[in-house]
Amino acid sequence: MWSRSAAERAERVVAVAVIVGVMGGAALGQAPAGPSRPEQSRKDFHFAVGPHAGISVTNPYGSISVKPSSSSMVMVNAVLHSDKVEVDNNQSGNRVDIQSHLLAGADQETGQVDYEILVPADASVTLHSSMGSLHAEKLHGDVSLEGAGADVDVRDISDAHVHVKTMNGSVNLDNIKNGHVEVDSLSGAVTLHSVNGALVQVVSTSGRINYVGDFGNSGEYRLTSHSGDIDATIPEWTSADVSARSVRGQVQDDIPLQPKTHTWYSMDMEKGRAFAGTMGRVAMSSTVVLRTFSGKIHLRKRSEKQSQ
Amino acid sequence: MNCVELQQSLAEAEDGSLPEQSRHLRQCPECSALLQDLNFIVAKAGELQGCEEPSPRVWNSIEIALRQEGLIRPQATARPQLGWLAARWGGARWLVPAAALLLIFVGVYERRQWAPVGQEAAVVTPAANYTNSTPGLNSGLNDEDLMQEVADNPPAMRTQYEDNLRRVNESIRDAETAVKEYPNDPEARRALMDAYQQKSMLFEMAMDRPQP
Repeated sequence: MWSRSAAERAERVVAVAVIVGVMGGAALGQAPAGPSRPEQSRKDFHFAVGPHAGISVTNPYGSISVKPSSSSMVMVNAVLHSDKVEVDNNQSGNRVDIQSHLLAGADQETGQVDYEILVPADASVTLHSSMGSLHAEKLHGDVSLEGAGADVDVRDISDAHVHVKTMNGSVNLDNIKNGHVEVDSLSGAVTLHSVNGALVQVVSTSGRINYVGDFGNSGEYRLTSHSGDIDATIPEWTSADVSARSVRGQVQDDIPLQPKTHTWYSMDMEKGRAFAGTMGRVAMSSTVVLRTFSGKIHLRKRSEKQSQ
Repeated sequence: MNCVELQQSLAEAEDGSLPEQSRHLRQCPECSALLQDLNFIVAKAGELQGCEEPSPRVWNSIEIALRQEGLIRPQATARPQLGWLAARWGGARWLVPAAALLLIFVGVYERRQWAPVGQEAAVVTPAANYTNSTPGLNSGLNDEDLMQEVADNPPAMRTQYEDNLRRVNESIRDAETAVKEYPNDPEARRALMDAYQQKSMLFEMAMDRPQP
């Protein structure tokens, strides 16, 4: 059994320990959890260009967004996430090249640069990012976007080529008029909304392809995914010559087509793996080819609600 | 001074001895490595050994294929035209002839497959050979090499490359099987061509990876 003095001493020790613990905890709570966060910096570049300028941006880590400017200037706003990355820029005549340059020790976080760029609407734009998002809108010059893991969003483009290459990033194209559209994606989902033109082609290995639109007039639409599903939702008044085939999957057609009797894959049609036919006015019809190896194909009728 | 300015300044002082050059070189390993390479090339240009480069057969094969495709004239030599690529990509230069071979393979394959009906017998034979091959083997592409190329990517990205490589190889195998089963099916042939093009794209992306 403890003596009274020993018990008092023990109480004092516990009290001191509690106070020290509380103070230490508070101090630790105020201290930064790790190395200090690198400071962001911002850089602006302006370039005067002529008609149909070419703009190229390469950015390993980070987003790139391009919008039209109201002048003949290219205006680049870059937000650098650390001092381990710098921005190289070069103008050669009517061509502007912007490149994020990673310094030693840069990684996905510290090497990040986010760009917001204004360009003349008739400029041709080439964007390249490994992991950031890529966005372009309201342009009528050619647009080329490439990125392994980059999510791509392109909208309100007219009378231009739109070329997209991704590995697993998603691709979203919206309101592309009279375009020459080519999308190559290995596994990312591809969504086309109101996209039309002389050529609209999507090739994917395993990504899902979703088309919502009317297949325009007299264009060629070729949507191919090796193992991904293909969904096309179109209004009933669409004029198109449609053929769909899944080598090992199933096809479904919600729209009455004037069937074609002589196709080389008639046997697949009997097995529910293919359909082919025309709809609307033949003279104005586009050619629509939907192909998958093991995915499903579904041609849907767009409801009035979806049309609005 | 940034990298572009440094490279321009090397025309005046190629040894990087100017104060501004030195300052930039101290903090930029890429430019520093570039200068080292330039010095090395100048010093060793006369001593370059053929064995340190890809086999002459590689260059000859590319040259022959390019001639057959009508892409270069007979008197042109492939090596000088492609030499800058080797310098640009350094250790990854094997990818360039490999990717070129893949594209040539796809082009030749497509041309043969879409030959007139009278040449049908000649068309079917090479297609049958693919069924016993590993995807990409005919094109000279090596999956392990690709994964090595992306080894220093962030882990999530590396996994994505691995996953997509597996998927595209599966698609090549499926398409090869379909071509074997239905040698006259244009869709099967097109699927095989698409699959090879997708694999080629994967290699292109691996080559374009960020390089600090």
